[in-house]
Amino acid sequence: MNGFKKIASLAITALLSVAVAACSSGAPAASGPAQTTAASSGPKSGKLTVWAWDPTFNIYAMKEAEKIYQKENPNVTVEVIETPWDDLQTKLTTLAQSRETKQLPDIFLVQNNAFQKNVINYPDLFADYSTAGVDFSQFPAGVTAYSTVEGKNYGVPFDNGTAIQALRTDVIKEAGYTMADFTDITWSDFLTKAKAVRAKTGKPLLSGQAGSSDLIMMMLQSAGASLFDADGKPTITNNPALLKSIDVYKQLVDAKVLTEVNSWDEYIGTFVNGQVAGTVNGVWIMGSIQTAKNQSGNWGITNLPKLDGVDGATNYSANGGSSWAISPNANSALAADFLSKTFAGSADLYDTILPSSGALANWLPAAKSSVYSQPLKFFGGETVFSKVVDFSTKVPTNNTGAYYYEGRDAVSTAITKILNGTDPSAALDEAQKTVEFAMK
Amino acid sequence: MSLTLARPKGARPKPDRPARERRFGLEQGRSLTGWLFLLPAALLILWMNFWPMIQAFILSMQTGRGTRLNFADPLWYNYQRLFSDEIFKLTLQNTLIYLVIQVPIMLVMALILANLLNDRNLRFKGLWRTAIFLPCAVSLVSYSLVFRTMFATDGLINDMLLGLQLVDSPINWLGETDTARFVIILGLLWRWTGYNMVFFLAALQNIDYSTIEAAKIDGAGPLRSFWYVTVPQLKPMILLVAIMSTNGTIQLFDESWNLTGGGPAYTSMSMSHYLFELSFQKNPNFGYAAALSYAILIIVAVLAAIQMKVGDKRD
Repeated sequence: MNGFKKIASLAITALLSVAVAACSSGAPAASGPAQTTAASSGPKSGKLTVWAWDPTFNIYAMKEAEKIYQKENPNVTVEVIETPWDDLQTKLTTLAQSRETKQLPDIFLVQNNAFQKNVINYPDLFADYSTAGVDFSQFPAGVTAYSTVEGKNYGVPFDNGTAIQALRTDVIKEAGYTMADFTDITWSDFLTKAKAVRAKTGKPLLSGQAGSSDLIMMMLQSAGASLFDADGKPTITNNPALLKSIDVYKQLVDAKVLTEVNSWDEYIGTFVNGQVAGTVNGVWIMGSIQTAKNQSGNWGITNLPKLDGVDGATNYSANGGSSWAISPNANSALAADFLSKTFAGSADLYDTILPSSGALANWLPAAKSSVYSQPLKFFGGETVFSKVVDFSTKVPTNNTGAYYYEGRDAVSTAITKILNGTDPSAALDEAQKTVEFAMK
Repeated sequence: MSLTLARPKGARPKPDRPARERRFGLEQGRSLTGWLFLLPAALLILWMNFWPMIQAFILSMQTGRGTRLNFADPLWYNYQRLFSDEIFKLTLQNTLIYLVIQVPIMLVMALILANLLNDRNLRFKGLWRTAIFLPCAVSLVSYSLVFRTMFATDGLINDMLLGLQLVDSPINWLGETDTARFVIILGLLWRWTGYNMVFFLAALQNIDYSTIEAAKIDGAGPLRSFWYVTVPQLKPMILLVAIMSTNGTIQLFDESWNLTGGGPAYTSMSMSHYLFELSFQKNPNFGYAAALSYAILIIVAVLAAIQMKVGDKRD
């Protein structure tokens, strides 16, 4: 080719290579240099990096905590990098597996259900809170249990996963019911009333993702039962609470008072668009419910129905929730101090974040403040926050263990089969075998 | 290879050198230069491709969770475990179903489309070619998500079917095994037909028009000339496209992950998706996941070998 074309093609190639090189050098910064003063006297300084998701709740809370901590320690800065949970879990696994723990941030948020798995498999990722001065008795025992391994605490509970039953008060009123009729009841009672509501208004009271075991897991935990025993062995077969939960679920689906959809967006859409008149999920679902501005004032919150005929059944449960973990990098002492003074020690922080983000945390002393007992117009003027904090103290503990996700997925598969007609005990036997195989 | 060098005029012919000294003569010098040019790229490939492959193989012989890996006893324990893993067998079945149904249909469609677009008298050729090739320019994740929305219970497809009164109630596309697999196959067909069509178009350009003319003169209709004249000359390209498609379909991941999420109870999950689950979502079992990746490699290699044997009949 002639001279000009040669030069032009060389120039373009050079430009592209530079662009590719520039794009690939975007690795996250490692944590800042450790400048924590050993003694707790005197203001501290340093930079903390945080990985968390949800800019409207977790990240917002972390930035507010930074402001509060900076009152005493103006030289401490907190840098938050937004990382969705799926990505965060993949990053943790990759860093731990390739032993690059230096690239961990100082603080990161971990789903409660995944805590055991990560601590047991990758202890190098975590520093424990034994010298941090955090009073764990100020958090509900059921929640700290998620991040406690062999007696040591590895997480400060934050995002509250206490389960609630949220219903459209205007819809149930048409069938002659109020929220009190759905409080402290059993699931068989719920089924009867839900059928009546459906007959009168044509609307189901619940919806959920097909093949998702969330609701059944909540029912299971409400009876203090789990998929694993304290030693980590699967207890999927011969689990009366699980059998009963699946049976209740099947009855709800068959009576068409629970609609099954195929994705998370569809599920949110069912109650936001008014096709379904309620939902049972963690308290964090309130944020999604409140996006339906035209339904303001027509929602009520109460506790869950309990399982009939099962020992230890209660009206309280949990779904999800997350806790702050610290990595054993240079800044871990500063990070621990930061968390103990803010998320585990500052009523101001919780007062600030509650009205703006509308979601609850786990720290019990925060519940005593006046902000928590403010009525919420969307939910019929009730003081829902103090209600839910009260629920959270009554949630039974459950065992998650390192194989929790295997257990959940196996039970989800079993549920799909049972809804298509397979015998429940046989399906659960198969699920147990799948989990035992995965644990080998 | 020996090259006769053109000697500049007036130069004396070089005296015959003894054989020993011819080792670093000009030809060897040239091939040495060639090797030197290849060396950086070859080293890079060795370091970034082959060394990780070897490491993965070593990993596949280890058991244990997280970073607590030890060599398995016996060494092939993970591979043995694959045979008794019900979920793996299900994902293998799913992937093979996609392979057997989707690839032949796609190749036939691509072949027909390429033949149609190769017609000399077709107008707006550029437009048709672009339109059929355009799906390939779309990212796998984007189109999977769009398909998922389209085939939702209250999505576009159900709305259309209900509106045209072809069905009485919305079909639960992604919630039933057969329809979930159908949606994935449909997505794959939409995405990759254009890509393979371009390969066939290129091959068709190389076919001597005189052969087709000869067939016309002999009285062959379009179908017969297509089958007996065009296709045999396209055999090498069909083989290439078949091997590439097989390779791609067996390694399927994005559609399984984004479109159906593994479908109802693992019934539309592909092997690579299961591999990802084992590594990052469940309790990390990297040794077993590495063994699974080698299983995928073996399957692809075996199928490619079979296809080469059947299709590659070079004289």
